[in-house]
Amino acid sequence: MNLQYSGEEKIAVGPGVVWAFVTDPGKVGRCMPEVKEVAVQDQTHVDAVVQVAVGPVRGKFKLKVELLPDASGRRIDMKISGGGFGSAVDMTAGADVVDAGDGTTLLKWSGQAIARGPVAAVGGRVLDAQAKKLIEQAFANVRRELSAPMVDQA
Amino acid sequence: MSTEPKPGGSLGVAMKRKEDPRFIQGKGRYVDDISLPGMLHLAVVRSPYPHAGITSIDISEAMRVPGVKAVITGKDLEAAGLGWLPTFHGFDKQMVLAIGKVLFQYQEVAAVFAESRGAAADGAEAVHVEYAPLPVVTDPFAARTDQVILRPDREKKTNHIYHWEVGDKDATARALATSPRRISQRIWFQRCHPAPLEPCGCVAQFDAMGRLQFYVTSQAPHVYRTALAIVTGIPEDKIHVVSPDIGGGFGNKVPVYPGYVCAIVGALKLGRPVKWIESRTENLTSTGFARDYHMDVEIGATDDGRMTALHVATTADHGAFDAAADPTKYPAGMFGIVTGSYDVPAAHAEVDAYFTNKAPGGIAYRCSFRVTEASYAIERAMDILADELRMDPVEVRRKNFVRKDQFPYQSRLGFTYDSGDYQKALDVALEKIGYTELLKEQTAKRLRGELMGIGFSTFTEVVGAGPSKHFDILGIKMFDSAEIRIHPTGAGIVRTGTKSQGQGHETTWAQIVAEELGLDPQNIMVEEGDTDTAPYGLGTYASRSTPVAGGAIAMAARRVREKAKKVAAHLLEVGEADVEWKDYKFQVKGVPAKSVTMKEVAFAAYTNMSQNEPGLEASYYYDPPNMTFPSGCYVAVVDVDRETGEVKVRRFLAVDDCGIIINPLIVEGQIHGGLTEGFAIAFMQEIQYDSDGNNLNTNFTDYLLPTSLETPHWETAKVTTPSPHHPIGAKGVGESPNVGSPAAFVNAVIDALSPLGVRHLDMPITRDKVWRAIRAAEAKTALA
Repeated sequence: MNLQYSGEEKIAVGPGVVWAFVTDPGKVGRCMPEVKEVAVQDQTHVDAVVQVAVGPVRGKFKLKVELLPDASGRRIDMKISGGGFGSAVDMTAGADVVDAGDGTTLLKWSGQAIARGPVAAVGGRVLDAQAKKLIEQAFANVRRELSAPMVDQA
Repeated sequence: MSTEPKPGGSLGVAMKRKEDPRFIQGKGRYVDDISLPGMLHLAVVRSPYPHAGITSIDISEAMRVPGVKAVITGKDLEAAGLGWLPTFHGFDKQMVLAIGKVLFQYQEVAAVFAESRGAAADGAEAVHVEYAPLPVVTDPFAARTDQVILRPDREKKTNHIYHWEVGDKDATARALATSPRRISQRIWFQRCHPAPLEPCGCVAQFDAMGRLQFYVTSQAPHVYRTALAIVTGIPEDKIHVVSPDIGGGFGNKVPVYPGYVCAIVGALKLGRPVKWIESRTENLTSTGFARDYHMDVEIGATDDGRMTALHVATTADHGAFDAAADPTKYPAGMFGIVTGSYDVPAAHAEVDAYFTNKAPGGIAYRCSFRVTEASYAIERAMDILADELRMDPVEVRRKNFVRKDQFPYQSRLGFTYDSGDYQKALDVALEKIGYTELLKEQTAKRLRGELMGIGFSTFTEVVGAGPSKHFDILGIKMFDSAEIRIHPTGAGIVRTGTKSQGQGHETTWAQIVAEELGLDPQNIMVEEGDTDTAPYGLGTYASRSTPVAGGAIAMAARRVREKAKKVAAHLLEVGEADVEWKDYKFQVKGVPAKSVTMKEVAFAAYTNMSQNEPGLEASYYYDPPNMTFPSGCYVAVVDVDRETGEVKVRRFLAVDDCGIIINPLIVEGQIHGGLTEGFAIAFMQEIQYDSDGNNLNTNFTDYLLPTSLETPHWETAKVTTPSPHHPIGAKGVGESPNVGSPAAFVNAVIDALSPLGVRHLDMPITRDKVWRAIRAAEAKTALA
């Protein structure tokens, strides 16, 4: 099952701070929704265990995340793959780090995922909405980590 | 109709099933009821990917799970020479555990052995497999482009498995080209699954003598023994296969599955018994599916509806391995029955099969190897022809029927039909269903815009594989066998090479013996499924039990009778030539008062046998001279809700000709069960894959089984034309209702929708599909 999403987050810090955050595998790993464990492997690789619940399909996913920062310092891509309880997910996501000019940053992101196994079959009817919610949550978590006061006001 | 069994005269008695008290009381003994001391449990790690290379398999975490004793992978099996197992079709092999790459979602990748079922499942979850996804092919029409080669392990570097054809291609093409009228239609019989209530499973144990004791849900225990000997190298005398009670098979329990091989390897490696019981999801996603035939049907006809030619070109989706379990010479099974009940002057059928990234199978789901597909194609096409000609589908059928006086009938596609009376079955059906009145009602309803349909299926099937000159599985000829032993008191035991999965053999086999020997069927014990005690036979599938094993039982009983006749002559103090078997007893010719019963003879066979060899037993290996050809006329009457698309099956009548009936009650039960399966196939069931290769029907929420709430009321009737070559004239009935009914259901729905211009819909005929067809037709009308 192919899933595609996009969105953007406005973050109340400058692009340099955002760039430093999104290229830090430990910080990125901790922004995953329902994350249970994070193990940084090196500067661009992190393993994570996340709790997944899609309809009646529930369990832990073990994910491998690879960060692919662009030399321009303005775009970060990542590959996420893994799975659990007989299911698998392969995901690519990318974000443009855009200077909004007022000391804030726009994080314009997009992602696509292929889900396989029970999570796609049994959870298929609710997977699209659930996956969208999770990926939005991940980038919202980035925003919250970087600009907690804004989140609190919201 | 008599329901009381009695000594002699047992044929045709609606005797209650002898096996039912134990099943009704929950006292059946299934594989999962077997628990052996020290037994381990096996769980299978399965691939979430439909097509991917295996980069690595890490079992370290699994081995740390409490209770896990071992994990084996494809490489381990390959090193032991057990990486692949031959499919029963004989032309392909199947990975036991994936080696190098996976070819379908839920394919077996690793096997985990643990102290409990839970620990094995936890261990399976802890096996980490890294995959490198490969392009996925789920469409056989895409597979035939060979852009992605799925099976590089084969010498032939193409996705094409085989081309099979029968009939006169040129003559058919000429006849089609010159036919005044022609129809053509692609008809898809969707991928479905037998879904027996008991999934597959086994217990493997090497006993103190090093002999494999293998308890398994097998429809063909002897074939399993031979296949396991071939695959594992274990001498066949060191293998004991036992199939205990089986909760439904429907063809699904014919193939040997990877889990069985893993259980045996685990038992050997760990020195402890191993049990493997698959889950519902594993059954639906990895064991033998059925159908998935895309059939391009062309019929040529005269203006008045007489068929001139039939051509069927099929594209078959076999999944990742060619595991169709068809007889060696018949890669497309008995698809040659596609001419059905019709005397077509020219016919040609061809099948091209392809690999895809789907589960392997193509098994004979309650049908004699692709007969259901063939029957559905011709019966659907006959209605399309009638629609084209603006004729009554009944009249088109009647016009083309093989006539009663043409039997034995040689079809253009190679079969010699044994007997039948299609006109009579149709007449009985028309009278019982009240066709004339239904037509009047339909006309009135159509004037009011209401959608009512009447659908017919006047099918002929071919069952009872089969004659040894044509049929074998892995080279083993498809005979079957019976061994009868009569005890001194006139009770007895019959053992056969078949294996009931709910067919009622414990009753019907006893009735045949009782009929032949004048004994009480209640005192004839039936034993099947134990390869140490039963004579070698090919098992129960493809409606072969009564046509083949039933013949063996009758012939073995006649051998017993021949021996008994010598003892009877001694008791009657006459020469053997003066003794005749009459009215279920031996009597002196011309002196009916001077007679002895079989019970008396049986006692004498052990106590007063004179010069005769003691004992009273015989065996027979029956090689049938021909197949049998059950037929029927099925009629469905449906009402379709124009607003919601809901189809209500108002009536369904099944008129069956299964030859001589052994037990009418069991025949009735078989018909009810088969019709319910046919109903499910027509309206509910499909194993779907999305374009990424995800199996979308992995449980009974998404793959529906009808309950009594959805199931229509079944009306039945019989026409009897005995099979002239079968020892008791029986033809078999187990599959007819599944073979014949889908076309009747679909034809009825299309008949209901025909005023809207709908000519064909593929199964399953879901409410959504009907609703869309109605809306599309209405939109077309509005535009016009």
